[in-house]
Amino acid sequence: MNERSDDSFEARTKALFHDSVDGLDYALRSRLTQARNAAIEAAASSRRPWFARIGVWSPAAGVTAAAVLGAFLWLGSPLGQHAVTLADGQSNLEDLEIVASSDEGSGDAMDMLQDDIEFYDWAEKAANSEPAA
Amino acid sequence: MPRFATLNQAWMVWDGPAPAPEGAVLEYTRELEKFLAEIERRAFRMAQIALRDPDDAMDVVQDAMLKLARSYASRPSAEWRPLFYRIMENGIRDLQRRRSVRKRFMTWLPGAKQDPDGEAQDPLDNVADAAPAIPDALMQGQAMEQLEVSLRALPARQREAFMLRNFEGLDVAETATAMGCSEGSVKTHYSRAVHSLREQLGEVW
Repeated sequence: MNERSDDSFEARTKALFHDSVDGLDYALRSRLTQARNAAIEAAASSRRPWFARIGVWSPAAGVTAAAVLGAFLWLGSPLGQHAVTLADGQSNLEDLEIVASSDEGSGDAMDMLQDDIEFYDWAEKAANSEPAA
Repeated sequence: MPRFATLNQAWMVWDGPAPAPEGAVLEYTRELEKFLAEIERRAFRMAQIALRDPDDAMDVVQDAMLKLARSYASRPSAEWRPLFYRIMENGIRDLQRRRSVRKRFMTWLPGAKQDPDGEAQDPLDNVADAAPAIPDALMQGQAMEQLEVSLRALPARQREAFMLRNFEGLDVAETATAMGCSEGSVKTHYSRAVHSLREQLGEVW
């Protein structure tokens, strides 16, 4: 089989394929456009700074915080059904750590809180400093 | 120390590259949209040729778009095309693997028939379609139909190499990236694919 006939074969298959692409119906094109828009939205939202995405993780963090608070109240209450000994308190604290660390969002929130304190401290110094000449 | 007009500006200096400036995000999302609009129809047809089913093809393309946008949008745009096709080909392979597992599972269900060649048949294959699997508008004549049948008969790697090189116009290096193999393998797969297709279609064309 010579090279020239290979070239014309490849050119023919390519042309046929592109004709079939041009022949895609409106409904399919529309679905592709919707898929593209969803992807673009995903790209834009994944690059927003954390304070623009706060709404995404705040419900999870809220639920975790409420669960931790509830556990504290229940375990620390003198009206609880069992007396809390020192050993119990130790294991309760371990339980709390497990509860707190079981939710990814809460871990992020703790880290973020730590970051924020440093950031705001730094930003305040920046804001109060004299502008460069 | 510098002073900032907005919290966002302060954040950008504080946190380095993590949150890209709004203008930059706009710029590359616009570029990404242009890229996806340019390739989406060809990608869909290639997935459809491999999978036969337009809904499955749409799912695979949509998934590839999302993964590219979420994980690789900030990469240089020159890398998008091979990356996109790599994600898509992985999606096609996963779907084909799931289909074959499902087909094997269907063998155990009552009502499953055996092909004369011993292959298990999916009972769902016997249910009449409400519409043809491939709309007529997609068929560009008998020649394209023959080509699709022949492409499906090729080993997966040969079909991938042929479609990426010939239909999508990727060069050898890009095709190697998209297929996750060496450039030498791409050349071998492509040349074997052309040879097989010519053999199969030679008489018809």
